[in-house]
Amino acid sequence: MDLNELPLDASLSAERTTTIKIIGVGGAGSNAVDRLKMENLDRLQLACINTDSQALASSPVQEKLLIGKQITRGLGAGGDPEIGRDAAEADREKIAAAVKDTDLVFLLAGMGGGTGSGASPIVAEIAAESGALVIAFVSMPFSFEGGRRLKQAEEALRNLRQICDAVIALPNDVVLQEAAENETVLDSFARADHWVGRGVKSIWAILYKTGLINLDFSTLRQVFQHRGGKTLFGLGEGSGENAVNDAISSLKLCPLLHVPEFSRKADRLLVNIVGGTDLTLAKVNAIMSAVGEQFGRDANFVMGAVIDESRQGQVEICVIGTSDMGGRPVPARRIQPVKTKSQVSAPVAEAPFTEELIPQEEVPSQAIDKSAKPKSLKDKTAQHEFGFGELESRGNFERTDRNLFDGQDLDVPTYLRKGIKITL
Amino acid sequence: MKSKHTFIAAVEIGTSKITVFIGEYSGRELAIIGRGECPSHGIIKGSIVDFKKASDATQTALLQAQNEAGEDIDCVFLAQSGGHLEGFYNEASVNVKSADNMISQSDIRTVCELAKAKMLPEGRSVVHNIQRPFRVDGRLVPTSPEHLMGQRLEVGYWTVHGQKQRIADFIHIIGGGNLQVREVILSSLASGHMITTPEERQNGVLAIDIGAGTTDYVLYKDGVAHTTGVVAVGGAHLTNDLSLGLRLTNDKAEKLKLRFGRAVVQSKDKNDRVWLDGNFAIGDRQFSRQTIEQITSARMWELLEVVKKKLGNAFTPETCSAGVVLTGGSAKLPGITDCASTVFGVAAHLGEAPSWLADNLRDPGYQTALGLLYYSLSGKAGKASASAQTSGLLGKISRLFSNS
Repeated sequence: MDLNELPLDASLSAERTTTIKIIGVGGAGSNAVDRLKMENLDRLQLACINTDSQALASSPVQEKLLIGKQITRGLGAGGDPEIGRDAAEADREKIAAAVKDTDLVFLLAGMGGGTGSGASPIVAEIAAESGALVIAFVSMPFSFEGGRRLKQAEEALRNLRQICDAVIALPNDVVLQEAAENETVLDSFARADHWVGRGVKSIWAILYKTGLINLDFSTLRQVFQHRGGKTLFGLGEGSGENAVNDAISSLKLCPLLHVPEFSRKADRLLVNIVGGTDLTLAKVNAIMSAVGEQFGRDANFVMGAVIDESRQGQVEICVIGTSDMGGRPVPARRIQPVKTKSQVSAPVAEAPFTEELIPQEEVPSQAIDKSAKPKSLKDKTAQHEFGFGELESRGNFERTDRNLFDGQDLDVPTYLRKGIKITL
Repeated sequence: MKSKHTFIAAVEIGTSKITVFIGEYSGRELAIIGRGECPSHGIIKGSIVDFKKASDATQTALLQAQNEAGEDIDCVFLAQSGGHLEGFYNEASVNVKSADNMISQSDIRTVCELAKAKMLPEGRSVVHNIQRPFRVDGRLVPTSPEHLMGQRLEVGYWTVHGQKQRIADFIHIIGGGNLQVREVILSSLASGHMITTPEERQNGVLAIDIGAGTTDYVLYKDGVAHTTGVVAVGGAHLTNDLSLGLRLTNDKAEKLKLRFGRAVVQSKDKNDRVWLDGNFAIGDRQFSRQTIEQITSARMWELLEVVKKKLGNAFTPETCSAGVVLTGGSAKLPGITDCASTVFGVAAHLGEAPSWLADNLRDPGYQTALGLLYYSLSGKAGKASASAQTSGLLGKISRLFSNS
């Protein structure tokens, strides 16, 4: 019997019980979750955790957790991460109950304030302890918010990176950069949340939608098995006749990849392509070779392609990469028995498609590597000595001392800090 | 006669390049007899991050200069910059001791020592004590107050200090080549002296040297350096901003900066696009000229604003009537004088090397190293007569050098 003709019957899909939960922590995180609520993604559980009872009350999300009631009396953390942390510590059981039996937790939070910075590392820790894969999307404060919030945000980001499987930081300055001149604050934040939403949706699609090249949860877990490194995350979209080319160039210009070339390389790369039924293997090939050229030298590629009937004529690319930071030994994560049974008798085309980057491309790129940049290995080890909790937009100066003046880091491009809009 | 000659090397270890000049001092005049240059490695924002690479590059430049001069170096004058340098002002006053109110040598010594006695934080050492003019009973005395009459003698010092280890790093690089550093001189003072005239310094002038990694400035008042400072931002930041903003490699961003960067936005047409390489090769991309100008001008504007903020009350347009003088490699950015005059509210012009200097030495990037040679002279020739003598002396230099 041809394996491809094996029907995907109800019993098979019912066994597939990967549960995803999106948890918004603090004000900014809850707002992001609220917006996702509108998208109506099935099988996606949403929850909000906050110290501010008033903010929680206005949220349309079903599952709401008020933490640290004894400490803050439900009035919020007042911008103090210590209070946020204490609040989360006080209600560990509540949080543990909320993340129980989930396989994948998306943590959404705004860094720099009290609850988001203080409580989210604790929430991440509890979720990781319960065996879930934790991916955090966090927004970093605007430069105009001042040095103290930036410091708090970076501290929190450092903490999160130690705990989460992946942390994707989105500097709000980039949001400002993308904003049109007469765009309202609401619209700008909506856009930031939209990016996070697309990231979440893309991973959601990987797990729940039928794949041309399917990915399962354990593959996802494999990509994120090392903690503490930097995560790169980019999205690209295209539609119409030149959908593939448009998507590739829009990915290249993705504001979330606002880092110079050399740090855009990742050790492990997950590429997911979402398209309509007209997505052909030739198009997938074109996208994959372009992405490989851009992001991975010797990357371990994991790719998936998902068909979504509602997106005829469109292509969306989502790239998630992780890189190890030097030789720092990261404790291997205990792998929980994966609950999905989708691997059982999976059709050929659905087999996880893990491959090394196309070999003939790998050889020249390595050769160039050796002649032109013999220091690359050394750089890598040097990198972690300086810590990596900083904003990623310092470019060449990433590994040097901070250049602080009036609470701003002068190494970060001026146009970004001042919100001067540039057109590409 | 040869044995009496000293061979002085002026070394500037910069972020983009290392410059060495060798001067032959005969006791009467100084002639530049050798030049060495090498692109820097291992230096970011004026500080050494990779000792080995920085050392290798410096030795290359030194060797090149020695070969050209055909002589061995006797002593080295080294320029010092970097974001770790800081300055503060401290003053002291004494009551004149003698009964007839005549200021004596010992009064002057006491007040100077008192004014310099301020303790530094742990791990820092003094680079320079820059003396401001003496005051006798509140009256400004531009020269020595000895034998003047007065009740009270005051003097103040602008003390520049830096991290001991970082300064030591630079000295070790020279020491590694079995050379001796005679003196460490603030980059801003060296270049500032080259590009300003004594008249300008008397009237008040602000000299800004924008290099690749650092911006060094010095404000002159009453003929002497009043305040100095370093901002660890330079041309490399312009490149970095472009590389981040346009998502380019550093090399390509550098190229774009040199070709299209401006300190004030000039292009009004959003659709005016320029090619990255312009050679019609595959992979060449187009960029909006306006975008490039926006990125570079925002940075340059901010950099000058930071300088102004750091100067604080010391700078007012009234006390700086000779305006702003700009030099350094990044001062070649078009439109920079317009930018500076808007920020500071005074006239700004590019620093002109003295007219007698040979053409191949007129580049703004050389002014610091040339200024070091000047300082080496002023130490020997005696401070009082130095300014009067130099024009003649350096006049010789240039002629000799252009012949060689």
